[in-house]
Amino acid sequence: MKSFLIRPALALALAAGLAGCGGSDKAEFTVGGTVYTLLYPGLQLKTNGAVIDVAPPAKAGDTVTYAFPNKLEYGDEYNVQIERNPQHQSCQLTNPNYATNADTAGRLAEINVQYVCSINQFSIGGTITGLTADGLVLANGSTGGTVAPVKAAASYAFGLTVPYNQTYGVTVLTQPAGLNCSVSNPAGTMGDANVTNINVACVPNT
Amino acid sequence: MKSSYLRASAALACTLALSACGGSDGELLLGGAFTGVTKTGLVLTNGDQRFEVPASTAGNGTGTFYFNDLVGTDDDYEVKVAGIPDNVSGCEVVNGKGRAAFNITNVVVNCTFKTHALGGSVANLKGELVLVNGADRVAVAAGATSFAMAPVAEDAVYGIAILQQPANQTCTIASAGGTMGKNDIANVSVSCAP
Repeated sequence: MKSFLIRPALALALAAGLAGCGGSDKAEFTVGGTVYTLLYPGLQLKTNGAVIDVAPPAKAGDTVTYAFPNKLEYGDEYNVQIERNPQHQSCQLTNPNYATNADTAGRLAEINVQYVCSINQFSIGGTITGLTADGLVLANGSTGGTVAPVKAAASYAFGLTVPYNQTYGVTVLTQPAGLNCSVSNPAGTMGDANVTNINVACVPNT
Repeated sequence: MKSSYLRASAALACTLALSACGGSDGELLLGGAFTGVTKTGLVLTNGDQRFEVPASTAGNGTGTFYFNDLVGTDDDYEVKVAGIPDNVSGCEVVNGKGRAAFNITNVVVNCTFKTHALGGSVANLKGELVLVNGADRVAVAAGATSFAMAPVAEDAVYGIAILQQPANQTCTIASAGGTMGKNDIANVSVSCAP
């Protein structure tokens, strides 16, 4: 209760002090920040009723700075939110445990709300038919991991996900005992959704 | 008589306890993280302390390690590599040297896998064929008689699939998948028809 009262009182005192020495001009604050690893267009940020588009950098990997056009006065509260994520990416505050996106203008010398964007990742998998024995091991290349569906499994998905625009290719690393399994739609380039049509059909060896 | 017996046995117990933990009278952890360790063989030392790092249980070769012996406040430490797994070409220690002031958890040991070539033969290819080994994508031009994917880490699996068939042809792959051993793989065989 006490601290609740002290903080506004301090702010008021400070504001009064500033006004006293600043003359007629009111201090103005720009809400801005930095976005790291933004690769695709579409990112929109909003605060205090304004929405801005944040475009990716001309050179991939460069950081992007942004600033809202509407100036805030000392003591105005701001709360920067993601209105819309960019295509194929998801952005978040660089340090969600110490959120910098919402505060009171004037508390910091410069308002710098930092976001980092990562490429969306999706799972790959499919249906399985005829798996009457254990031992099947599927691989997604050398870095995509393996998955070992057990006997009678009707579907599978790799534990490791695949980022947007990266290729995947599922092959049979180990055939189950007495069966020959083949993979349909084994390879592709990841889009914006889980891939569920990499189907595996197993038949008895002849 | 009785009390001197007790004292002697207490001293003995004390000595035993100390030697059991290596004679170390430290209180601070020494360790950190490692990468590229998929099998046993990585041996780290700090002075005369030796620690065999167990293989990663995460499946991707990464994990954390701590020396069994604690180090004392103000002790100098220097983590060195005394042995490496047989599927890596070497291991480097980052932040390995210092004077202990608090638990040391920022030592990083990065091991680099040996890699080997992955490729094979192509027969009767009349258009552009695109092959993938997971995230690795290689376009093979019409008329090619061989292809090479990106090198693959020793002991890693590989599996080559067709991302894009050539126009008006269908290609199949024999010996498409396996586990990379100690030698290059050159027996992946692509044949196209008609």
